[in-house]
Amino acid sequence: MDFLTRAIIANIPNLLAGIRVTTEICLISFAVAAAAGFVVCLLRLYGGPLRWLARLWIDFGRNTPIFVQLMWVSYAWIDLIGWPKDFFTAAWIALALQSSGYLAETFRAGIEGVDRGQVEAARSLGMGGVTAFRRIVLPQALLAMAPSFVNQFVVVVKCSTLVSVVTVPDLMYQALRLASIWNDPVEILSLVALLYIVFILAIASGLKRACDRLRASFA
Amino acid sequence: MSETFDLSLFWEYRLVLWRGLEVNALVFVLSLVLGLVLGLVACLVRLAPWKGLARAGGAYVELCRATPEYVALIWFHNVAPFLVGWATGIRINFNPIVSATLALGIVASGYFAESFRAGIQAVPRGHVEAARALGMGSMLTFVRIVLPQAFRTMTPELMSQSIGLLKTSTLVSVIAVPDIMYQVQMVSQQEMKAMPLYTGAAISFFVLIFVLTSLVERAGLGTRREA
Repeated sequence: MDFLTRAIIANIPNLLAGIRVTTEICLISFAVAAAAGFVVCLLRLYGGPLRWLARLWIDFGRNTPIFVQLMWVSYAWIDLIGWPKDFFTAAWIALALQSSGYLAETFRAGIEGVDRGQVEAARSLGMGGVTAFRRIVLPQALLAMAPSFVNQFVVVVKCSTLVSVVTVPDLMYQALRLASIWNDPVEILSLVALLYIVFILAIASGLKRACDRLRASFA
Repeated sequence: MSETFDLSLFWEYRLVLWRGLEVNALVFVLSLVLGLVLGLVACLVRLAPWKGLARAGGAYVELCRATPEYVALIWFHNVAPFLVGWATGIRINFNPIVSATLALGIVASGYFAESFRAGIQAVPRGHVEAARALGMGSMLTFVRIVLPQAFRTMTPELMSQSIGLLKTSTLVSVIAVPDIMYQVQMVSQQEMKAMPLYTGAAISFFVLIFVLTSLVERAGLGTRREA
């Protein structure tokens, strides 16, 4: 076994710690993005005079490069609003900010895609507006939105590699650190690139299959 | 509060930032051209009648689409020159702009290939059959019948992919391409003030890309209605 293979094996705990941070960042930012996206979507659809705020949020999230958002949240927010205090928080905020814009539009398409007759039928059966939304509209909308959610999650995973730029110790950060310590980037960077590609292919195809099964079970 | 939102520093450095934006434009155009050419080739390979070749094309597209752009940038800048060196025996380094063009262009080609494929497959088979029945060769049919129609359906999609590439091109500062974000980082460090420049950059990009997206959306609806 040559030196590098041994060095990589010796650093497996570091890489695993990196994978953990990557996983955390992805899950937190996606969960926050879904929640924020839902709220923004409701504001956009039923917000009355506050609709423009939702539109601004959505357009800003969708039309600003993720890297610019990441740097902005990490370095400018502390002066603007005194928060977030650490880069881990800044990283998931930036990722969530971008995805919430896309997910809000996904929610809107899903909700608007539910046939109006469904709501009318629910109302004529005596359901209140909120109950009809929760029991009739939302389940159908969520089912229709599932593939877009999968796509957006893959986008989050791909963008999460960027958080290493603001020193969040994710998988990419660990790889770059080892590459610079050993002064030999070839093996470690290729290995990590391969890991990311395999992860992303696995996540994309796994979630897509789960999604198809879910839809098939209701269709 | 007014001091907090003071963006005058951003204005003060407009010439430096503008020079950065020019580098962004250069990287964007170079990788766009590379992405479109490779994408068209990958798409044609994918649609090739020979099964092994088609599968290889499909694998290439999947590989590109599953690669995070940042990982590709780092890999092409740090690893690819070594591999070229081993293969040719000549030690070389890539200029950061070359690495950036290769990384962004190759990743983008996967997305472009899918847009091309969708456009080509959307052309009704009957048109191809009609052209063949009139005595056109398969090459001529493709160039004169399929491609012009496909081009029309895929234009909006290609436009929005290109805007995506423009957004990704802001990443290249991580391999020391002196683009706008690179200049923003330099000036922020020099002035010890991060807020005005990063906020200015975020607002500028938002306006630029919002305008472009709106234009494309309008143009896209137009062509679709025509077709």
